[in-house]
Amino acid sequence: MSADTNPTVQVQGLRKTFYDESRGEVNAVDGIDFDCHAGEVFGLLGANGAGKTTTLRMLSTVLRPSGGRARVMGHDVVLEPEAVRRSLGFYSASTALYPRLTGRETLEFFARINRFPPDRVPARVEELVDRFGIREYERARVEKLSSGMQQKVSIARTIAHDPPVLIFDEPTVGLDVLNALEMVRVIRDLRDEGKTILFSSHIMSEVEKLCDRIGIIHRGRMLAMGTLDELRDLTGEHYLEDIFVHFVTRTEGLESATLGATGELEADDGGRPNAGAGHATDQASESREEGA
Amino acid sequence: MTQRRPRGSRDLSVLATIFRYELRMLLRDTRTILIAVVAPLVILPAWILISNRVERSEERRLEQAEYRYAVTGSQATWAREQIAQALEWEDPDAEEPAGRITFVEADVSDPDSALRAGELQLLVEALSAEEFAAVLEEEVAEARARSGPSEEDAESEESSAASELERLLDDPDFPLGEVRGLRLLFRAQSDFSRNAQDQLEGRLRGLRTVKRDSVFRTRGFPVAAEAVAVVEDQDVASAEKVAGSFLGLVMTPFLLVLMLSGGSIVAADAISGEKERGTLETLLTTAATRREIVRAKQLAVIVVGLAVAVVNVGNLAIYFGLGVLDLPQGLQVGLRAGQTLALLFLFLPLAVLVSSALLFLSGVSKTYKEYQIYFFPLFITFLIPSLAPVLPGMELRSVIAFVPIAGVAVAVRDVLLSGVDWLFASIAFASTGLAGVTMAGWVESSLSNERLISRSELDEADLVGGAALFPRHVFQWFLGFWVLFFVVSLWFGDQLGVRGQILVNLVGIFFGGSLLLLRRYRLPVREALSLRMPRPAAWIATVVGAPSALLLGVALANFVNTYIFPVPEEILRAFGESLSEPALSLGQLVLFVSVMPGVFEEIAFRGVLLHGVRKRMGPWATALTVGIIFGFFHVALFRIAPTAFLGVILAGVVLLSRSLYPVILWHILNNAMSTVPFQLGWLPEDFSPPLWLAPIAAVTLAGSLWVLWKSAAPAAVHGRAAGPPD
Repeated sequence: MSADTNPTVQVQGLRKTFYDESRGEVNAVDGIDFDCHAGEVFGLLGANGAGKTTTLRMLSTVLRPSGGRARVMGHDVVLEPEAVRRSLGFYSASTALYPRLTGRETLEFFARINRFPPDRVPARVEELVDRFGIREYERARVEKLSSGMQQKVSIARTIAHDPPVLIFDEPTVGLDVLNALEMVRVIRDLRDEGKTILFSSHIMSEVEKLCDRIGIIHRGRMLAMGTLDELRDLTGEHYLEDIFVHFVTRTEGLESATLGATGELEADDGGRPNAGAGHATDQASESREEGA
Repeated sequence: MTQRRPRGSRDLSVLATIFRYELRMLLRDTRTILIAVVAPLVILPAWILISNRVERSEERRLEQAEYRYAVTGSQATWAREQIAQALEWEDPDAEEPAGRITFVEADVSDPDSALRAGELQLLVEALSAEEFAAVLEEEVAEARARSGPSEEDAESEESSAASELERLLDDPDFPLGEVRGLRLLFRAQSDFSRNAQDQLEGRLRGLRTVKRDSVFRTRGFPVAAEAVAVVEDQDVASAEKVAGSFLGLVMTPFLLVLMLSGGSIVAADAISGEKERGTLETLLTTAATRREIVRAKQLAVIVVGLAVAVVNVGNLAIYFGLGVLDLPQGLQVGLRAGQTLALLFLFLPLAVLVSSALLFLSGVSKTYKEYQIYFFPLFITFLIPSLAPVLPGMELRSVIAFVPIAGVAVAVRDVLLSGVDWLFASIAFASTGLAGVTMAGWVESSLSNERLISRSELDEADLVGGAALFPRHVFQWFLGFWVLFFVVSLWFGDQLGVRGQILVNLVGIFFGGSLLLLRRYRLPVREALSLRMPRPAAWIATVVGAPSALLLGVALANFVNTYIFPVPEEILRAFGESLSEPALSLGQLVLFVSVMPGVFEEIAFRGVLLHGVRKRMGPWATALTVGIIFGFFHVALFRIAPTAFLGVILAGVVLLSRSLYPVILWHILNNAMSTVPFQLGWLPEDFSPPLWLAPIAAVTLAGSLWVLWKSAAPAAVHGRAAGPPD
């Protein structure tokens, strides 16, 4: 994994279009480009419904892009979905664990189905159990564990097959302060081991602390991208919060002339209505295309 | 997402891992195991055992009871004599001596009300010859009044009893007015009263035979031996064959029920449960392919379904073996190796189909609850074809082999009955297996269906409301309409009459419902109902297409009735009669049966319904779905298939022409052509178009559809959705 030269994740003109009856086509992700490299944390910063989750789900091959390309470790997400998934670990608030498996079984299960070499699975499980301090409750069912313990098992299962690329989609949502700090620490460690980390959040302080490079995403578009210092230089603002507001107000101002008031539903507190609409109706348009 | 590279197709380790863990998780779900597997094991035999016990103790109670009766009437003394003799009489033919039964004459002041009050079990009216004659005549008159003058209902028990009496009365040799009579009055709702009547009547009749024989003998009645025929029957079928014919009928449905309910334990949890718990996305972001996931889960469903079936059958076998339960008479099967092999061979594709279907349900359900809602319809849909061997005249080597499940069921019966017809069995195997594999493919694509798998799909449409919500609710609405439609025709059909029913259905349910939906979801009317004027050629195509489709439909229906589901002639005729509308004049016929359905049914089905469905499916699936739903709105069982066929074509016409107008004309023409010529006597009632017309009709139909597509109304907003398949 030689850094700098070969990007581990390449995203070019990636688009995801959902069809919505009342608003017509909605571009949840509207032509996004970025690259990530080994040993860095790339942060996607944006409000709820900005398109972060949709982007990351396309990278994890759960959603199929409407346009553009994305590659993980050189594998195309559309053409080689299994190879892509094999090279990455995906962690999000919606990736739950099997309640009736023990922590240990969980790790073994995910190592195996991610095609980690079978003969090395037991050693790998031991390693993870030690690393995350799961030992004392490794034989308890996940459903019996506290949320902090579950979180540890969950992170461990994400990296069970030792993938080079890790996606953390809003990993701190719903965690208490200590667990959130633990999460940030783990991510930093993983970066230091040379993993590529894609991290998304709407919490400024986390992004500020953790990310080597930041992409500000709003209404499906990448407004700005760079290190924190580069963004500071660009805007003249110091705090990430101000930088974010700077970019967003600038585009809002530009777009209000052309787009009108179409963006109401994408307000910060809508619980991701934008993405939801897409799932609901995209199927229809897709199968129509298939049938045609 | 299709798996372009068949990775891991040879490497079974991932599949095996998922399968192993699936079973492990199931086994840890103790509550499910207890309720779904252990409980039935205990409940079924317990239920049989208890009901046997109850039955036996009831029998004992009946035997040991003391039956109270009273004798009334002018001939009471004579009657008491008869009864006393009758109670002494024993049936010489009885295999075991009848249990002693105690009859006690009670002394009551008002025997009628005592019988009614249950103080008496039996009341014997002793009638003089004149009284008896009067009573008989009265009974005949009453029975006649009840059954009406028609001779056709002769099968009904009541009128046949009446006609028997009638014959008796008309018989000049019957000594009416010369014999005294005994009338036994009892209450049928009481087991004791019924038993008292049964016992006493049997003995009285037996006694009468004895007396008659002795009269014959004492009078020296000459009977020549050759004038008497002795009838004896003997069953040449072996016990195995008899058992086979019984087992052959019940085996497939029985196993199917066990596999469906057993497999469901895994299937419900396998996908919809994972969605609900949020583990599906975890699984889908691993390197396991969709195919591996589906195959592994399918294997788990099959294994558990079969295990539950085996355990239940074994359980019953143990109880039969222990003699706790009694086997049905003569049910002893000696299966030969070949038969066993053939049965396994036949049940294999069935297991695959069952597991695929259950997983498919699980795949399209977002929650456990949704799965449970879908389960029952699936259950019924599978059970019905498995009953195919019960259909009369179902022959081997018929086209039924091509019908999934039904083919297997018929083949299984024949394996148990006669032997293995490998050609038939292989076709049945292939058709059912193919259906299973196809469905497994659907499960795979359901795992790539973003609408179904994404958990964070917060219902945006629910927030937006209005038209966006309609495609999701359209099926529920039409289910509601169907229930209403069904209830109206079932309960109010007679009161409303043909015209009333048509009015309520067409104007009330179809048109009213359409207006309701248009309003409720604020649907764009022009768009929803495809109100666009097509080019002139479309009209010509419609006029040619409608009769073609009708001819083709009739030919297909005949083909199906002849070769696939040979429906007995009588049933078809009975349905034909219930369909004929004798009360309508020609004008009314045209209005009620052709024009109004053409307009209102098209607005509802090819307008509103199709508008909702095509937002969810591709054009082929849309046409099929709309057609089938349309079929179900024609309650009579044998009309569903033909109307569904018509419905699919009509939906296709709208999708191709992008307009509702041609299809309204099409429907009007179709209905007019299938009623008016018969009404006017141009065609005989049992007219059936010659078979050679079918291919011609198919060609002209295809041509018309092509013209409709070419002359389609200019594409509008949703042109892409409505576009013709190319």
